[in-house]
Amino acid sequence: MKHSISIFWRLKDNHYKIYVTKCGDCGRVAPLKRLKCPYCGSRNVEHIESRGFGELINYTVSYYRTEGSEQYLPRVVGLVKLDEGPVIIGEITDVDLNELSIGTRVEAVLRKYSSEDPNGLIYYGLKFIPVIKK
Amino acid sequence: MTSSRFRVGIVGWGAYIPVYRIKAKEIARQWGFDDRVTDSIWIEEKAVAGADEDTVTMGWYAARSALLRAGVNPGDIGAVFVGTESKPYAVKPSSTIIADALGISAKKLSTDLEFACRAGSEGIRISVSLVESGAVRYGLAIGSDTAQANPGDVLELTASSGAAAYLVGPADESVAVFESLVTYVTDTPDFWRRDGSRYPAHGEGFTGEPAYFHHIVSAVKMLMNESGLKPSDFDYAVFHQPNGKFPLQVGRMLGFPREKVLPGIVTPWIGNTYNASALLGLAKILENSKPGQRILVAPFGSGAGADAISVLVTDKVLERVGKAPTVEELIARKKYISYAEYAKFRNLIHRNLW
Amino acid sequence: MKTYVVGSGVTKVDRHYDKNYLVLIDEAVGKTLANSGLDASDIEYLVVSTAFSESILNQADPSTYIAQNLGFRNVKALTVSSGEVSGAVALDYAHALIRSGKASRVLVVGFEKMSEYPSWVINRVYAKILEYEVEGIKNVAPSDYAALIMNDYMRRYGVSRESIIKWSIKMHENAVKTPHAQLQFTISADSLSKALRISEPLTMLDSHPTSDGAAALLLVNESVAKKAGTTPIELVDVESSVNLPIYLRDDLTYFSATAAAYKRLSSRNGVKLTTNTAVNVYDTYDIYGLLTIEALEICARGEAVKCVDEMPYLNVGGGLKARGHPVGATPLYQVHELRELMSGTSWIKYDGDISLAHAMSGPDNNAWLILLRGWV
Ligand SMILES: [Zn+2]
Repeated sequence: MKHSISIFWRLKDNHYKIYVTKCGDCGRVAPLKRLKCPYCGSRNVEHIESRGFGELINYTVSYYRTEGSEQYLPRVVGLVKLDEGPVIIGEITDVDLNELSIGTRVEAVLRKYSSEDPNGLIYYGLKFIPVIKK
Repeated sequence: MTSSRFRVGIVGWGAYIPVYRIKAKEIARQWGFDDRVTDSIWIEEKAVAGADEDTVTMGWYAARSALLRAGVNPGDIGAVFVGTESKPYAVKPSSTIIADALGISAKKLSTDLEFACRAGSEGIRISVSLVESGAVRYGLAIGSDTAQANPGDVLELTASSGAAAYLVGPADESVAVFESLVTYVTDTPDFWRRDGSRYPAHGEGFTGEPAYFHHIVSAVKMLMNESGLKPSDFDYAVFHQPNGKFPLQVGRMLGFPREKVLPGIVTPWIGNTYNASALLGLAKILENSKPGQRILVAPFGSGAGADAISVLVTDKVLERVGKAPTVEELIARKKYISYAEYAKFRNLIHRNLW
Repeated sequence: MKTYVVGSGVTKVDRHYDKNYLVLIDEAVGKTLANSGLDASDIEYLVVSTAFSESILNQADPSTYIAQNLGFRNVKALTVSSGEVSGAVALDYAHALIRSGKASRVLVVGFEKMSEYPSWVINRVYAKILEYEVEGIKNVAPSDYAALIMNDYMRRYGVSRESIIKWSIKMHENAVKTPHAQLQFTISADSLSKALRISEPLTMLDSHPTSDGAAALLLVNESVAKKAGTTPIELVDVESSVNLPIYLRDDLTYFSATAAAYKRLSSRNGVKLTTNTAVNVYDTYDIYGLLTIEALEICARGEAVKCVDEMPYLNVGGGLKARGHPVGATPLYQVHELRELMSGTSWIKYDGDISLAHAMSGPDNNAWLILLRGWV
């Protein structure tokens, strides 16, 4: 899939890195750099960079086929609870479908989201793998 | 050109080896080689980057490990170099992607270097000079490749994927200090890839004696001459390793006993990672070294040139080994795949695109 | 001022390879206007609902071209596009026009043409219902969320995979009795083990199909309704709420937007749903249907699979699962099916006074409720 150059470029901070938005009013945390706290709407938020480590709390093996996805299928998509608190949706890569379980420690790694057009941009972003350093 | 004795060193290092492996014998059988060929060059299996990996993603992981070990502020890194012969973009730097993803400041030098398999070590040499001159506090040199080989070419038995990264900085923060660095370069056409060509070509036997052996031997002898060091002064010698056999052979030619060369050999289990080849060997040695030990590392790149670098290990190495995955952990972490999966991952299958 | 539905019409939900959207809409509008005593020239507003016409048909604002091609000469035409709830939003807009007295005769038309491209293209289009900058770019699929929710539901309540499929079995049974439904066949739990997986443990048997279809509803005020040749149904109220994205929810198994909308709708109108109320809910995936009837307080949480058997008027048209999901038209199909039920022309007799249609985008991201009441 072709993405807008400017959109992808602008989103670097939310795809090359994991930021956590921490609310100064309600105290809750949410993934991504956000303008406002999604829970209470406060603008009194700070953005903290996550170390990218966490725990897999739910996952699915996805066969959902979209053009250009065949090289990556099936893919594992899951919810990761980051050590900093919030839960993030992401792809778990490099895994055998039978080796995962709830509670698997994972770490964020830079990978390609997609790159099927040989003349187009390569869309890099973070996915997760089971931690290498146990 | 020589020497930056004790002023500059390796502050952090990192390795990356993809999880997938294919047995060299499976490749040999796929293309009708007598499968004894793998023993003749000592290659057991090679690492294969997954479909979503490339030079940038692997280089990122290795560099992140180097930063984790170094514990420095990414904002203090003034130079980022990626040595590779498998740039994801023919035009557009890989180094900027890695640097941004690691939070390295915009105030930096940054470029991709190409010199077959020794561009990564050229990155180290440039970083050493930049740090030594005071132009930057830290320089990050990455060697990363998803090495291409024409399917069916003997090169395919070894051409693999991996990355290594070295953060170069002040000696007093370093796990190993640079004693001496020399480079020996000539025009020797042993291996090349033309612009737009998918796979490299090579001179088979010509890649050996006039290329690999001549350049490494010349560079190491130059280092010995200039520094006054002898093979017996080194605890380890690491060479570029296109296969398992060549580094042992060149070590013998230079008078290094087998036991000083073997610990730095990684290719038989992960293949030739090109720009990461000798640098992964060095990482493995560092991870097992003791303070005070001296290591020779001699990367080689076709076309052709070799570096010879002598480093002295400091006591800081011990506390930093455990902060990121080691080469041995990365080698042990593996999943075997078939030739068909390898072909899919490495884009060897022609498909229509929607 | 009250709003009444005095006409409705739908096409068969299918892969209509041989018909464009105008032909489908013409058929649905023809059925809608028949017996209403009105024709196209009487329509003041043409409110068109579609989720994906720009993506699939390369057509912005199809309302203009529907008006130009289907003989609406003195109409105010507009297009409403709000993901999977487009049809519900279109009805709310029409309802507001009539309630405010700004219009007395509004035709709401919904359509979608999902079969124009192969699945791998349409899958990409459908995934646009999720947040592009967060989920779309990472290739997260709508069915992935359904699978994660199903996992959590099974774990939390000890519900078995086999019992969840009861929902789909019932939907297919209802579809067989519904002429306009897409999947006119029954399924059994035995097929589950052979069903193609979409996002494990979710299979094709749990999911809506790819559908084309068009539906229309004629909404009028009371004085026009009194002159209509059909039995009017009152569109009483519309309510809605927005949920947090899945990854910010503390409990994936609770559709809190649907629940919040229901609480407001219920207290404002003094109504309470029971297992004997006709409800037509979004079962984009069977697990969503189950969570919806829990959020609507028809069943206790974790008990929905037991309730399914006790709900004779649940998705009588077969639901998104088996009637199909021509996205922009789906809420209009739901209201059409409820209208048939309440006016005695459905395959099952219904004596209740009220009925409810529920639509949502994704997993309760944006939930809408439409309350209907019989003519009194
Ligand atoms: Zn807050």
